[in-house]
Amino acid sequence: MSEVRFVNVSKEFEDDNKGKFTAVNDATFTIEDKEFMVFVGPSGCGKTTSLRMIAGLERQTSGDIYIGDRTVNKAHPKDRDIAMVFQDYALYPHMTIRENMSFGLKNLKRPKEEIEKKVSEAAQILSLENLLDRKPRELSGGQRQRVAVGRAIVRNPKVFLFDEPLSNLDAKLRVQMRMELSELHKRLGATIVYVTHDQVEAMTLGTRIVVMNQGEIQQIDTPEELYKNPKNMFVAGFIGSPPMNFVRGRLDGNIVQTVEHALVVPEDKLLKYAEYQGKEVVLGIRPEDVINIEHLPDAPAQNVIEPVIKIVEHLGSEFLVYFGIGEETIVGKISSDYHMEVFKKHQLYINMEKMTLFDPQTQMRIG
Amino acid sequence: MATNHQQIQLQLDEKKDKQRKIFKIVGLSVIYIVLTIWAILTFVPLIWMFISSIKDTTSITQVPPQLIPDQPTLDAYRRVFDVGGFARWFLNSVIVSTILTISNVVLASLAGYAFAKLKFPGRNTIFWILLGSMMIPGQITLIPLYILIVNTFQMADTYLALVIPTLVTTANIFLARQFMASLPSTLIDAARIDACSEPKIFWKVILPMAKPGLAVLGIFTFVANWNNFFWPFLVTSSNEMRTLQVGLTSFRYQYTADYGAMMAGAVLTAIPMFIVFLALQKYFLKGITIGAVKG
Ligand SMILES: Nc1ncnc2c1ncn2[C@@H]1O[C@H](COP(=O)(O)OP(=O)(O)O)[C@@H](O)[C@H]1O
Ligand SMILES: [Mg+2]
Repeated sequence: MSEVRFVNVSKEFEDDNKGKFTAVNDATFTIEDKEFMVFVGPSGCGKTTSLRMIAGLERQTSGDIYIGDRTVNKAHPKDRDIAMVFQDYALYPHMTIRENMSFGLKNLKRPKEEIEKKVSEAAQILSLENLLDRKPRELSGGQRQRVAVGRAIVRNPKVFLFDEPLSNLDAKLRVQMRMELSELHKRLGATIVYVTHDQVEAMTLGTRIVVMNQGEIQQIDTPEELYKNPKNMFVAGFIGSPPMNFVRGRLDGNIVQTVEHALVVPEDKLLKYAEYQGKEVVLGIRPEDVINIEHLPDAPAQNVIEPVIKIVEHLGSEFLVYFGIGEETIVGKISSDYHMEVFKKHQLYINMEKMTLFDPQTQMRIG
Repeated sequence: MATNHQQIQLQLDEKKDKQRKIFKIVGLSVIYIVLTIWAILTFVPLIWMFISSIKDTTSITQVPPQLIPDQPTLDAYRRVFDVGGFARWFLNSVIVSTILTISNVVLASLAGYAFAKLKFPGRNTIFWILLGSMMIPGQITLIPLYILIVNTFQMADTYLALVIPTLVTTANIFLARQFMASLPSTLIDAARIDACSEPKIFWKVILPMAKPGLAVLGIFTFVANWNNFFWPFLVTSSNEMRTLQVGLTSFRYQYTADYGAMMAGAVLTAIPMFIVFLALQKYFLKGITIGAVKG
């Protein structure tokens, strides 16, 4: 069993400039055995701090941390059965790749044959066999990245910790490494905790995702759930690219009345919105739920708007079209089969089947 | 029309290129001339020292001076060794400079690492106090230090008196802290995860990376102590305890001075420094740029 559990964990920093500063506030979660758990959130939200607390590089101010079935509150990093891959790789510059990878096992006084075997195994998995006698500075960014992963693999830990391991790679290499990490996860059958600020990375890699903001955990769910049922406006606005559109309005009967349009709410949803009848709400619409009516088999009877398109961005198979509703700018992601022209009116269908409503005060999802 | 225009443009470009070349040549010439003059100015005293050391006692004070002695002689060098003690002074200088170099490298690197990378209560306060102590001129602490070493500890005329005050200097701690701070902290974290004990982190991870910086620190410490005159002059009285720099003064008598022997002694004193400079040139260059370039 190698689950990782946080119970009411907080971390405060005593900062010279900011004074007392809460980097992680009252975090409680369980990372299941063999799970690929991704921490995602904007820069400075406390992801790295959370990871470093799991590693034991940072001691929590309060709360308990469990790895497997024992508390590791005061355990030294070496006694936690973890290995970590750092954002800047943190390879020892004066050691060869072989020495870098075997350093941990040597410190643990493992027998020489075992070390050699593990290093060559890891080198083979990561195609590093020919580089073992080089120094880190003689390697490319992608190769260094592999060495950093290799150094973690040879330790055969229960839990792998990754801190933005791909952020220093170029886009192409990043996609490739992403797939390799995914495969590695299956192959190693280990628990992985992975930190990134990139929601695409989070969505593609994670079996579950922890969304954080300003030290608070916003939601913990599978990528699919996060996308379909975001708990609040932060998650809705963070996950997805481009993010969800928000339009202010009022719920009247089965209608969301915005400044410009009256949009009809599907019958089956009305029940859960009952409490908000006659109140201000925020309507959330994903860009792909803005549809050019020419793509629909039958002309819809309702929820068609006819805005002036302000900007059209070509993404190949899709357009991103920008238009205004009141003061808010809305973006739609529309298949590029039909031409769309800027500064012209186009008939767009808003798919209210996929709508989300939020409370403007609490920013929480309604229903 | 178009081609005409292009031709004119080409000619203009060529002209500009020529101008640029001329500027470059002129600029380089100026730099070379200035550096040459500077080199000559720094070198003249050294040459003069050497020339004087191979003159005989009469021609050395002759006016106008002989640029090239008509009767070069090594007599002055013989006198240096005849007076007695030169070998001992040399040994003393080697002992004192070596001990201080080792102690400064060891202690400054440990302190610098702690100040740069370890968290402990009062770290910043202690560091600021140390830094503040650098602002106090040496002349102010000289007399209290003398009283402490000579009167209180009764160490006058011993090796201890020569080395204790500067076993580690604040300036060296500061220098060490600066280059330790430039080493990435994630390496220390990585080593902790790699089950490396704290002393071993310092030894296996930090020291190898800090080597160039420590080499610079060591070389500068060695040179500074080799050339140090005033403190050894104050706390040594017997001939056997003198260092080279102090020993050289013994060629100055009540009414006369043996300039030839002084020059010959100075040449002998400078030779180890030349060797150190030439052998470790790259570290001196690094010393000048330390902290300036990262990565
Ligand atoms: N050692 C520290 N001392 C003071 N503040 C820190 C320290 N480490 C992190 N912080 C602060 O805690 C917050 C969270 O940091 P971090 O976990 O690194 O964020 P990220 O999500 O970008 O990885 C940031 O505001 C950062 O400035
Ligand atoms: Mg981070």
